[in-house]
Amino acid sequence: MKRQSRILATGFALALVLSTTALAQEPVKIGFVTELTEPWSFFGTSCVAGLKLAELQINPAGKRKIEFITIDNQTRPDQALAASRNLDVQSKVIALSGPTSSDTALAMNGYAEQNKVPFVVPVAAFPQLTKPGTRYTFRIEPDAAGWGYAIAQFVAKQKPSAKVAVIYSDFALMRAIVAGLKYQASKAGLKIEPEILFPQGTSDATVQAAQVRAANPDYVVVIGAGGFDSTLTNQLLDIGIRTDQIIHPFGITTQVKNWGKRSVGSYYGTFFDANLDKLTAEGKQFVDQFRAQNDRPPSYIENYCFVTAHIIREVIDKNPGAGDDREKFRDAVSALKTKETTSGIPITFDKNGARKEYMYFMQIQDVQAKDYKSKQVFYIEWDPEVIPVYDLIK
Amino acid sequence: MNVLTSRWLPHAIFAFAAFAMPLVFSGNRYFAFIVGITLLSVLWATGMNLLYGYTGLMPLMFAGIAGISAYVTIGLSAAGWSFWLAMLVGSIAASLVGIVLGLPSLRLRGFYFTLCSLVIQSVITLAFVYFVNLTNGDVGISHIPLPELPGGGQLTGTSYELVLAALTVIGVVVLTLLVESGFGHRLIAIREDDGLAETLGINVTRQRLAAFFIASLFASIGGALYAPYVGFVSPRSFDVLVSLNIWLMVAFGGRGTIWGPVVGAVILAPLPFLLQDYYMIKDVVYGLLIIGVIVLLPAGIVGGWKRKAAAGEPAPDVAQKTAPAR
Amino acid sequence: MSDATIIILLSMITTGLMLGMIFSLVAVGVTIIYGSIWMPNAANGQFFLLAALLLWSASVSWGLHPALAALIIIGLSVPFSYALEILLIRRFYDVPNRNISYFVLSLGITQILAGIFSITYGIWSDQFQLPPLVGGLTMLGPFPMVNNRLAAMLIAALLLVALFTLLRYHRYGRALRAVFQNREAAALRGVDVRAVYRMSFVLGNAVVFAGGVLFACAYSFDFSIAWTMAITAFAIMIIGGPGSVLGALVIGMVFGLTQAAVSIFASPTIAAFSYLGAMLVILLFRPSGLFAR
Repeated sequence: MKRQSRILATGFALALVLSTTALAQEPVKIGFVTELTEPWSFFGTSCVAGLKLAELQINPAGKRKIEFITIDNQTRPDQALAASRNLDVQSKVIALSGPTSSDTALAMNGYAEQNKVPFVVPVAAFPQLTKPGTRYTFRIEPDAAGWGYAIAQFVAKQKPSAKVAVIYSDFALMRAIVAGLKYQASKAGLKIEPEILFPQGTSDATVQAAQVRAANPDYVVVIGAGGFDSTLTNQLLDIGIRTDQIIHPFGITTQVKNWGKRSVGSYYGTFFDANLDKLTAEGKQFVDQFRAQNDRPPSYIENYCFVTAHIIREVIDKNPGAGDDREKFRDAVSALKTKETTSGIPITFDKNGARKEYMYFMQIQDVQAKDYKSKQVFYIEWDPEVIPVYDLIK
Repeated sequence: MNVLTSRWLPHAIFAFAAFAMPLVFSGNRYFAFIVGITLLSVLWATGMNLLYGYTGLMPLMFAGIAGISAYVTIGLSAAGWSFWLAMLVGSIAASLVGIVLGLPSLRLRGFYFTLCSLVIQSVITLAFVYFVNLTNGDVGISHIPLPELPGGGQLTGTSYELVLAALTVIGVVVLTLLVESGFGHRLIAIREDDGLAETLGINVTRQRLAAFFIASLFASIGGALYAPYVGFVSPRSFDVLVSLNIWLMVAFGGRGTIWGPVVGAVILAPLPFLLQDYYMIKDVVYGLLIIGVIVLLPAGIVGGWKRKAAAGEPAPDVAQKTAPAR
Repeated sequence: MSDATIIILLSMITTGLMLGMIFSLVAVGVTIIYGSIWMPNAANGQFFLLAALLLWSASVSWGLHPALAALIIIGLSVPFSYALEILLIRRFYDVPNRNISYFVLSLGITQILAGIFSITYGIWSDQFQLPPLVGGLTMLGPFPMVNNRLAAMLIAALLLVALFTLLRYHRYGRALRAVFQNREAAALRGVDVRAVYRMSFVLGNAVVFAGGVLFACAYSFDFSIAWTMAITAFAIMIIGGPGSVLGALVIGMVFGLTQAAVSIFASPTIAAFSYLGAMLVILLFRPSGLFAR
């Protein structure tokens, strides 16, 4: 009797497996190593908030489940590496993803390439992540030297042969932006002066703001790290730099909030914004849902992590076997031709895993406690190697 | 003399364990990696022990020295040198730097020396970030190639861990021999009272700088091997927290004993990996451990146990003139 | 002199004064504790950050007026210090060579606080910015000075004067100096050494807390300020002479001004290297500091 029932159960289960393979399959595991504590945690937690929203949508009944295993890297490369190793060996994930900071992403990139684990980087911009010869790493965010290129093009359009001051913190991301900006500025006939670099951990910039003011530039590109970004911006405004002279290379919601009402008129670069002219229906829904859950609009960080989850869904759906074989997964991502569900911008990767790149420039219109308004003033697309990004900064 | 009754028995057991563990875990690269990092930590803690345990100085720039060696080794390998030659040059260069960084110990004691070393560590970290052309700045260096083997091929997987095991065992044996030699006795004499040692005809300057050279050699060989093993280095791989962790391994295990730091490293080095799922409380746990050692276990685990075993014998204390003359 | 030069010059002086006063405050706090208990408190940076974070919570999240919140927080530092003193600090009062034990102990406290901050405040780490105490600008010639920072400077100056007077002329200040110079002799003369210790720990931390709230009023900040401040305060204490309040005051101001000047004439990075360099040189050649008695 017992035996019979067991056979029956097995047969029944088998039938189930055959009818809906999805139910019997193991979930596809993705290791998501990101910054949940320490300096960059505001990036990592924003990213995870976007990912959480995507997770509600990407696992409808009947499809093979995609499971994200989120681990904190404490904004430390060695921790990111240890976590990657753990996910690779212990959890046997099919791919890695998650970092929002360039140093942790580069550490994981080394691991992924050496151990042939596909690695989809949602938000990290250092060019070398997709240096020539890269095979397993795919970057969703445009590279930072390219942002510099975009800023130069934006300024040249606003005012040809303008004089641009650059004031930035000594972080890899900032150095890469400035390298791209300087390269393109000389081509576009812009003058960069003065260029001021702050060591990590700086807290005051009054004196440097005065130096910038004294040089009387047309535009000031401001790239502070963490809390110092607000200090820097405020001190420039205090000393008499006008808001419409200030360009922030990137702006996420909390940053715009920090710059506050007094920054109305300033420009910032971004890759997704709730105030974009064109959002898809899914994009609008994403913004609304995110706002409902988090009490603030999402920015490009949340968007990229949201989009990453959708890309992985698409790869698994369209390529049988990609959920079980890392090479197949890698090939599928490499051949992917799709669009960001939220903004309709195309996603394709070149041979090194870099994406066809683009950037929006927004001007701040109004800042309130939980929301802000800005308008799109410039949009630009470019090929990842429009300037020699891999030689400009190592 | 029978090995079983020899005073080298603990060393034989340790060597057996050090070589066996990589083989036991060869099937799982994650656990094998934890073993590898633990072996490296034992090597570092053993070197730190020579300074903190036997010379009576608490330096907090140990990781900085390891970092200098790692960066030099990587740079020379990238320039086409053989890894092993690069490692030799890198380690010796970093150890010479170690001597220079040890110079303040000739004038400063106790807290003042420790503070000085903390400042030096901060300067080294700032320099790693600042000299972008040499170090890649804060993004660090990834894709570090594995060391090549003389007969062709690369040192990888279990064989890498076996090399680490061999070096760690050599490190512990070297420390034992040093401590039991005249040099070790002179160091202990200086630790207890450097003025008295001087009057006894010991050249305090030379002994101390020699100790710094040897300890730095431990740090820098470890650093050179760490880089390709992990495949990535950045300034944060060698920052003050790493120095502090190495110190904690020595203090927790028991300074001034051969096996205390080994025990400390074996317990503490795998902790961050095992605590990965409890990342929230990791820093707090480390802080509590530091305070716990200072308040409850000033002589460390092994030191405390030894003291119990030989009741009455005072724990080796760090001799220090607390402050320079006022 | 052109307007541009005047602007740079005035910005240098005001920044130097502002930073100098905050440096001085923290260094005085650190040196009071070191001077009496011989505790080199490496956690002072975390205490500083704790005060700043609490002020941010109180004024941004709970809507308290920053000035009121600042007073409450400085007040809260007293039971906080007492608890620490009872729990940990007093265990070592009679230990010989205790400064290194204390140093390590304070590194442990640093780790614990850093861990707690990253769990609790980490997700807002780019947002620590307070509404200004006072709005508007004051023109100093062509140089626009923010009133808020002017107010913070004024408060810092008053605090420094009050502290200096207290330590110079009050009974406690005299007892503190006696204990610092010779603990046994002070005890023989009837000074309650343990009470002075306790008092110093409480007062020193309160001063560090005051530095933290003032800094939060004048600047936006993030976690990195804790380590910078800890190292800077030590540097000032070492150069000024451990235990010397006057040394901490003077060197703190010198630090602020030179940092501002060096960052103009060389670069901000050189400025950061330079004070560490100055500290090393002083440690090596005059470890008792420039103002030692």
